[in-house]
Amino acid sequence: MLTYILRRLALMVLVLWGVTLGAFLISHALPSDPAAAAMGNNAREEQLADFRERNGLNKPLATQYVIYMGQLLRGDMGTSLRTQNGIVNDLRAFFPATLELTLVAVVFAVLIGLPLGVIAALYQGRPPDLLARTFALLGGATPVYWLAILALTLFHERLGWLPGPGRLDVYSLAPPTHTGLVLIDSLLARDPAVFWDGLRHLILPALVLGAYSAALLTRMTRSALLEVLSQDYIRTARSKGLTPARVIGKHAVRNAALPVLTVLGSLFGSLLTGAVLTETIFSWPGIGGYATTSAISLDFPAVMGVTLIAGLAYSVVNLLVDLAYGFFDPRISFS
Amino acid sequence: MSQQTASAQKIHTFSRGLALALSLGLSLASAQNARQSTLVIGGDFSDLITLDPGVSYEFSGSLVAGNLYDTLVIYEGNDLKTLKPRLASSWKVTPTPTGSRITFKLRDATFSTGRPVTAADVIYSLTRVIALKTPSSFLLTDVANITAKSLSAPDAKTVVMDIPKTANPNIVLALLTFNVGGVVDAAEAKAHEVKGDFGTAWLKDHSAGSGPFMLNRWDRSAQVALDVNPNAFRKSPNIKRVILRYMTESSVQQSSLNSGEIDVAWNYTPDAFKAAQNNPKLKALKTDTFMLSYLGMNSAKGMPFEDARVREAVRYAIDQDGMIDSLLQGLGRKTQTIIPIGLTGSDPKIYYPNNVAKAKELMKAAGKADGFSVDFLVSTGSCSGGVPCQDLAAKIQADLAKIGIKANIKQMVNSELYTTYRAQKAPLIQADWSPDYPDADGNGTPLSDYAAKSLAWRNGWDNAAASKLAQTAAIETNAPKRLAEYGQLTALLAKDGPFAILYQPYKPVVLQAGISGFNRNANGDVQFEKISKK
Repeated sequence: MLTYILRRLALMVLVLWGVTLGAFLISHALPSDPAAAAMGNNAREEQLADFRERNGLNKPLATQYVIYMGQLLRGDMGTSLRTQNGIVNDLRAFFPATLELTLVAVVFAVLIGLPLGVIAALYQGRPPDLLARTFALLGGATPVYWLAILALTLFHERLGWLPGPGRLDVYSLAPPTHTGLVLIDSLLARDPAVFWDGLRHLILPALVLGAYSAALLTRMTRSALLEVLSQDYIRTARSKGLTPARVIGKHAVRNAALPVLTVLGSLFGSLLTGAVLTETIFSWPGIGGYATTSAISLDFPAVMGVTLIAGLAYSVVNLLVDLAYGFFDPRISFS
Repeated sequence: MSQQTASAQKIHTFSRGLALALSLGLSLASAQNARQSTLVIGGDFSDLITLDPGVSYEFSGSLVAGNLYDTLVIYEGNDLKTLKPRLASSWKVTPTPTGSRITFKLRDATFSTGRPVTAADVIYSLTRVIALKTPSSFLLTDVANITAKSLSAPDAKTVVMDIPKTANPNIVLALLTFNVGGVVDAAEAKAHEVKGDFGTAWLKDHSAGSGPFMLNRWDRSAQVALDVNPNAFRKSPNIKRVILRYMTESSVQQSSLNSGEIDVAWNYTPDAFKAAQNNPKLKALKTDTFMLSYLGMNSAKGMPFEDARVREAVRYAIDQDGMIDSLLQGLGRKTQTIIPIGLTGSDPKIYYPNNVAKAKELMKAAGKADGFSVDFLVSTGSCSGGVPCQDLAAKIQADLAKIGIKANIKQMVNSELYTTYRAQKAPLIQADWSPDYPDADGNGTPLSDYAAKSLAWRNGWDNAAASKLAQTAAIETNAPKRLAEYGQLTALLAKDGPFAILYQPYKPVVLQAGISGFNRNANGDVQFEKISKK
């Protein structure tokens, strides 16, 4: 097991190096001048020349990459051309908001998608199945942008049940930053009012972000479970007189979990990096908005930083999913 | 249980209930007070990258820094032609053998840190901008032509600035009203200096000014919270806290304004603004800007717009009224010369009424009766006035098609668009321009003088007479003479220049009806201390 993990970690380093090289080459292939993008339309030629000099943009491409990799090995992701902040500081400011939103969205997706999928499989062809499949269809086909506006207008503006955009109410003071996760930081600050406020602000964006994932999980769980339910060992378990709950809970769901787990892992990765629209509508100060603004303003170091973090998140989640296979299916060994 | 005990218990329960109700009432009243003294502005503040007045050069940065810091002189409200005292109680311009000298006398003022504002703070603030080579440094080094040696302080309340003949003292005073002239507490900045950065890293998200507000906290991409500065001489009697809430989307701003979550919305689209004008619960303000939306026509040799008659034909073909009425829903003003309405030198004359027949005649005279095809570069996203750039481009394309010009729209992100434009490779472009300082020269030089390597250069338009006029008018201190020179310059550009001015946009701002005292001037300044909320 340990050898397996070490081998995967070594591979992860290779993957991340590939990510930096790919992102660097793609970023610099664009026919645009990052100095002009950072300094604006009114900037004079001398200002641009000075900016290029200060940020090392006039060095050959290969030299720039070597400098970048040298910094990276020392734990320094460079300086943002736009904000002139260290990229590590920028990521520390924006990543926790996205992580918190994604985690809650995944929890919602699992809480909604898994039970619906199980119910749909158990009642195949009957009204509960029809309802679950309708949800899966709508959840998968509804554009996030539209759903977000609709949710905000209905639940915030019209009904007033849930708060509007942002992580906290305008009049709430954010808790001291330890983790950057509002729920955790407010608990550490022993401030239940801010915790409650933060939780309420998470509901709508997390539901919107998790809707597609919940739909996909419903569909995956249903089809995986239907396949398992037709297996001989399920029939055997039933014939041995096991209760339906035990047959489903212990034998069927556990065996149907593998494909669902695979989907869940890739969903988590894509939610983490694909929350741009949800973040924009809900004014959520996350990594999606940061990545978009950085890309539009040709802030290469920032784009590289976000890409690297996304690559790291994908790799780690994939590793965890692979390790989890062993838990659900003891036949899988990591030798 | 005795009757006495029961009665005592009842009294106890009653008084506990009363205390609870009282405390609940008090906390509700206090929450209500907090809401009444807090101004919440929702908007797209994604351009905010620093709150250091010497570095910030973006609209949002200027908006905030203008309330955190004081400058020596200022334009108050919408009068952007008359300088008013701020930290300087008086100032005097005197000629010297090498140019001119401005002597400022400082008023009594105190920073939010409790230290008094002195001449040394003013000199430190200006010299740090020069030394740091920030995006706004050129205003001091290239426009005011000053160095650290140009500044001196004979005493703690007097600042002397020596300006060479190459700079106009009136322009220097005008640009000192900007952030670049914001005065920081030198001792505080020095205390937070790291590796000779003049405290820039610290001032990015802290404040050390004498303005009516001070920074409480900036949660990036979430909100900026300003608290009232108790030491300020510009008192804010009603608003004690200002929150700038990041809301990129206009639709989200509308939703939040309707639900009462925000008091002011900063980025309404023309359609939403029109609806807000008919809503009695809201105030819809068309606030001025000095921005010009224009068509840049590359006039270099061999380019499609080389012939001045073709450029004139384009100006006749553009339907400005249709653009302003239909696309912008009134969020723009019609103007046709290079100096925006509101600045001295602006020319209200309509040189080119929409006239397709006349435009066709000019095309024929230029030997282009059959028209031609040209790449038309436009930005993605939203153009000034809140109209989608693709809609604006489609309207221009339709207008030009009437005189045989086939404009092939090529949408690009701004970074790519301006890289192409800067390389003189844009045959036809739709772009915006805002002057760097509220003076005719802020447009005169970049749009007319080829040698300035700005807009005239980007469009390949090299006109010796225009360059000379722009250079002369820039340093002319005699007001009537200067006005006449700008009259000649604007007329020359209107006739021969490489631009077709499309409109001068308004900036739409929508407020709750209970907000009063709100004013945003053409520079983008809002004095938060003058606002009150019902």
